[in-house]
Amino acid sequence: MEKRGKSDLKLAVVLLFPSVFLVLLLVAYPMISNIKISFFDLPINPRLSATFVGLQNYTEILTDIEFLKSLGTTLLYMILAVAGSTALGLVVAIFFNRPFKFRKAARSLIILSYVTPSISLVFAWKYMFNNGYGVVNYLGVDVFHLFEKAPLWFDNPVSSFILVVLFAIWRYFPYAFISFLAILQTVDKSLYEAAEIDGASTWEKFKNVTIPAIMPVLITIITLRSIWLFYMFTDVYLLTNKVNIIGIYLYETAFAFNDLGKAASISVILFIILSIVIIASRKRVKLNGNG
Amino acid sequence: MAMASSKKNKAARKIGFYLGLIILLTISLFPFFIMLMTSFKSSKEAVATNPSFFPEDWTFQHYVDIFNPDIFPYLSYFKNSLIVALTAALLSVAIGIFGAYALSKLKFIGKTTINASFYTVYMLSGILLVVPLFKIISGLGLYDTKTALIITMIVQTLPTSIFMLKSYFDTIPEDLEEAAMIDGLNRVQIIFYIIIPLAISGIISVFVYSFMVAWNDYLFASIFLSDSANFTLPIGLNALFSTPDYIWGRMMAASLITALPVVGMYAISEHFIKGNLTEGGVKG
Repeated sequence: MEKRGKSDLKLAVVLLFPSVFLVLLLVAYPMISNIKISFFDLPINPRLSATFVGLQNYTEILTDIEFLKSLGTTLLYMILAVAGSTALGLVVAIFFNRPFKFRKAARSLIILSYVTPSISLVFAWKYMFNNGYGVVNYLGVDVFHLFEKAPLWFDNPVSSFILVVLFAIWRYFPYAFISFLAILQTVDKSLYEAAEIDGASTWEKFKNVTIPAIMPVLITIITLRSIWLFYMFTDVYLLTNKVNIIGIYLYETAFAFNDLGKAASISVILFIILSIVIIASRKRVKLNGNG
Repeated sequence: MAMASSKKNKAARKIGFYLGLIILLTISLFPFFIMLMTSFKSSKEAVATNPSFFPEDWTFQHYVDIFNPDIFPYLSYFKNSLIVALTAALLSVAIGIFGAYALSKLKFIGKTTINASFYTVYMLSGILLVVPLFKIISGLGLYDTKTALIITMIVQTLPTSIFMLKSYFDTIPEDLEEAAMIDGLNRVQIIFYIIIPLAISGIISVFVYSFMVAWNDYLFASIFLSDSANFTLPIGLNALFSTPDYIWGRMMAASLITALPVVGMYAISEHFIKGNLTEGGVKG
């Protein structure tokens, strides 16, 4: 029993060693080596030697119009997809916050798009939005007459951009939905009843009861989803080659143009941007059991 | 009169609600429906310019084809994905249990620092590390091996594993441990005999999460793997997109089979998760 007051440092070191060692070796050390690599001109071929170029990678990147455009595209993608998936998740959670038949089954079905691997979903979307025989254009033009002429979804940057934003909203709203539903189910029903007695409208109840109750979850979802979408790569890369978000720009700099030094300097710039966000958010983001 | 109208109102609202639910489910499930139906369509029917929802002649040929290694290396990709995801998820959970226990139950200097640094790592990962990780993996002689991918996936999922497990362990009351210590169990025995059994449903969720991340990974697989014998599903299937082997029905069948393990695991883990993990652990 007297063990309680003592520090458990020895055991903690043993238990945490594997985790800390792996994280140091494969996250902390790589991040530091990013900084080192970013000052060199480093070809991908290990037999060619690296030359020290000082800040040249940084000046090239920061004056590159493509990089700035890519950053703009990424921010727009992030803002639209975060707003869309969070708002839709909240609406659906409020909709589900009542007992009804098949609630559990419906909830599981809605989560399907979130748990299915990107590669599977991407093939379905590519097929649905195909220019020639895609069902979306068929429904939109021939059946519902929503648009005059079928947009060639994958052929121009604007419609491709709309497509990847729609995909992100569709794929990630269930995450917001589950988180919001969990918190809504803990809100005391008597708060709503009290508001009703005071003659509050639906909107007032939402503003004065629901919003304050879900605030911590709302901040967490917006922060995490923003960070994840900020360095999104897979979904967009697999879906189209017309939307050059920052993750793809970085990947192509490294593995298509074989310019590791420049890619490392992009990583460092992004790291600085993200660190500011993370440090600012640390006090407010609650990590719960859904990664 | 008023009674009747309120009854009508109630019925109307109920109909409206279920209509909304149907629209919502349609949006959520439509791509899955298309996947399923296309996987039963002949190649010609799949590219008809006036698409139909249901196949005219149902064919199971695509499912037969993807499991035929002479036509399509699907099984090899599947096996590679399974090896990588299972190994990574098991190790991530195992390493995570010990780390999370220390952060949840032990008192020591530097705990806050470790928590904060894991939090930072949790948010920084993926694409930001591709260049140095590529260098490190090549330097270690692990380029084009599944080991490279497994190690990377463990690290990618570890911070989340630790945070999730820690939140489950935090719900296990201290009295339980104290009682166990009085009975003469040491800390390691406590982890195995008390913590793991009590948090088993949480541990299963963490395993499923880690498996899903590894199963889904395209980025690192595309950087580390070059021999198609080592390909996992995402890069294997994506590499086929621009080849003559690309047949819509077959790809849809492959996509569905690819989704099955994670969807199945998710369904099973949903079933396991219950409210309070330690209910009944301590008598009041």
